[in-house]
Amino acid sequence: MRDEERRDGDPSDLELVQAGRDGDESALGLLVRRHHAAAFRVAVSLVKEDDVAQDVVQDAFMKAFRALDGFRGDAAFRTWLLTITANEARGALRRRGRRKESALDDAIEVQSGDPSPATAAIQSVEAERARRKLEELPDKQRMSVSLRIEEGLSFKEIGEIIGSSEGAARVNYFHGIRRLRELME
Amino acid sequence: MNETMCGTIRELIPDVVGGRISETDLGAVEGHVVECSECAAELRLAGTLFASRPVPPPGLLERLLDSVRTSAPAVRTRAQPSRVWWSVAAAAVAAFALGIGISSDPGLELPVEVPGYAYEVEEGDIWVSDDGLLAGAPLFDDLSDDALLQLLEELSVASAGGSA
Ligand SMILES: [Zn+2]
Repeated sequence: MRDEERRDGDPSDLELVQAGRDGDESALGLLVRRHHAAAFRVAVSLVKEDDVAQDVVQDAFMKAFRALDGFRGDAAFRTWLLTITANEARGALRRRGRRKESALDDAIEVQSGDPSPATAAIQSVEAERARRKLEELPDKQRMSVSLRIEEGLSFKEIGEIIGSSEGAARVNYFHGIRRLRELME
Repeated sequence: MNETMCGTIRELIPDVVGGRISETDLGAVEGHVVECSECAAELRLAGTLFASRPVPPPGLLERLLDSVRTSAPAVRTRAQPSRVWWSVAAAAVAAFALGIGISSDPGLELPVEVPGYAYEVEEGDIWVSDDGLLAGAPLFDDLSDDALLQLLEELSVASAGGSA
């Protein structure tokens, strides 16, 4: 299931947030439909396991909705949610005392086990190889590449999510994509 | 190949693969990659990554929508329009739970306004009726609306008396 696209005439995220604050449950549901896939990708990129990522996404949405009053309209809801998701994922990693440097091993484990729905999406050999190599990048480079290409976020938004400046997010993206091309050669 | 042009094109590549680009910019990228193998390779890689984005497992969306329906956010947001109501009802629940005789206790003070954190509750710790008014169920389940209104009046008297 991918995020539902916003069509012309659909309410904006900010309008949905305002309706959600007033108790409109369907508005919150629409925010979930729009952004759950992106949140899942951010979570699974950090925690590596589908099950843990799902818990992270649920916790992130609940935390975001409980804090809607604190949401500043000058930030995009999506960026705000993904920032919360990344923080929740880091928290989940800390709680498990797990080091993210084992990313490559983890990726191979996922590949060798039962194919999860996430890995089932990988349809070509080249795509599978690219995703494995992506896992080899340091966290901030990997997140910058994923968020820029897969979610279409600006470097400013990426900076907010990875805890860096806009400039650092840009550098991380271009270093990451260059390194990835080298790894793919 | 002009490096400045390559830099410009590579800025645009993520938006090309995501379909978020104007016709003009798309034309510029397409024209450039015909002649520049480096940018063409980067475009291909970005396209591969975009096309193989992980997708959420089936069931995640339903699980999230369920939790929206059943958990705290809805309770919190429903409770907001009637903060006084909420505080009165919550105090009544607490008083009943402690076995306090409310109407005979002139010391009980009820806040007119409560801060946000006072009605932000952990998931699963709250019951709410379909109309969102009743915060103290199931303790009040058996009370009729009239009995409940009477109870509120008593509480209001107790509160007014206490603060006088
Ligand atoms: Zn070029």
